[in-house]
Amino acid sequence: MEATATPSTQEEVKPGTAKVTVAEVTLRKFEVSDVDAMMAWASDPQVAAPCRWDAYESTEPLLAFIRDVVLPHPWFRAICLESGRPVGAVSVSPTGDPCRAELGYVLARAHWGRGVATAAVKRTVATVFAEVQRLERVEALVDVANPASQRVLEKAGFTREAVLRKYSAVKGIVRDMVMFSFIDTDPVPE
Amino acid sequence: MEVQQGGAPAPAAELVVSLREFTLSDADAEAFMSWASDPRVVRFQRRDAYEHVDQARRYIADHVLPHPWYRAICAGAGAPLPVVGSISVKPGPAEDGRLFRASVGYRVAHAHWGRGVATRAVRAAAEAVFAAWPWLLRLEAVADVENPASQRVLEKAGFVREGVLRKYILLKGRPRDMVMFSIVVDADTDRRRQQNKPDGP
Repeated sequence: MEATATPSTQEEVKPGTAKVTVAEVTLRKFEVSDVDAMMAWASDPQVAAPCRWDAYESTEPLLAFIRDVVLPHPWFRAICLESGRPVGAVSVSPTGDPCRAELGYVLARAHWGRGVATAAVKRTVATVFAEVQRLERVEALVDVANPASQRVLEKAGFTREAVLRKYSAVKGIVRDMVMFSFIDTDPVPE
Repeated sequence: MEVQQGGAPAPAAELVVSLREFTLSDADAEAFMSWASDPRVVRFQRRDAYEHVDQARRYIADHVLPHPWYRAICAGAGAPLPVVGSISVKPGPAEDGRLFRASVGYRVAHAHWGRGVATRAVRAAAEAVFAAWPWLLRLEAVADVENPASQRVLEKAGFVREGVLRKYILLKGRPRDMVMFSIVVDADTDRRRQQNKPDGP
């Protein structure tokens, strides 16, 4: 599983659910002991639907993913709320150019609709440029058919640059993707 | 072009542009140097200008000949047509183990700019790879925002401008804004490709 840039987080506020503030959302590095918390979203077919990976059915392959991909990754963070327990993940992954990296994020369905993803992405762009050498551009690709995820990026201050046609193959289907970017000189929204 | 007294000018001779594979010959290495050593041409490339023909010779042997699709652009007059540039199409990146994209890049010697050589070469390359690679759905190219001539070449060659990607590529140590262009297969182009297959529809 990678935290891809095509999550289907719903940002419409559910009745009776308050939006989180950026202060209530924190990012930290993952540990192997987070595997159970991670299963909450990694095993959810609805979360996995727009992603490259299939829902996990057991913790063994997820443990392997944490060990082999997450822990050695240059920038992979757990999205945490007040309890400190991860409710999702956000990552910024290297590309062919050292000046540009790709954002991905995923959130457990129980926490959709409260602005958690938006807060996590704001936190990310506020810190990642200082933490990754030579990085000047964070980009994100979102399926044209995923307006909720596009709104997360717009609210987090990303610029919508282009629709790249037939750009990505996800689960066997080639899709048009919207390219968003946040560069190091862009202002971080509150 | 001759201007006839009191009448319309005679039509310019049709510019012939053709593509062929490179060889390990001295002539091809020297022709390569005509653009690879020119700062005006390499300005928008990652590579610095070559200073010695051995660099071109090595690049042809190590990179051009093993490349999936790399051609010499031949244009002008005479037989054989002189080599005036190069054009290459790189398949990928693969996703989910599947190839469906490729990207094209080209360079033309400065003496041959402004005559439609690049436009014809890009058009010919696009036709060739869409015919040769049935898996190809998207052919893309980027041009520096400060290179309007290259942007015009791509537009005239039938590419669609999709948008400006900010600080997209590191060019000689500086991140550059690039304009993204593409040609994609749709139902119409796919039907035409089927009709052009040698074994018939």
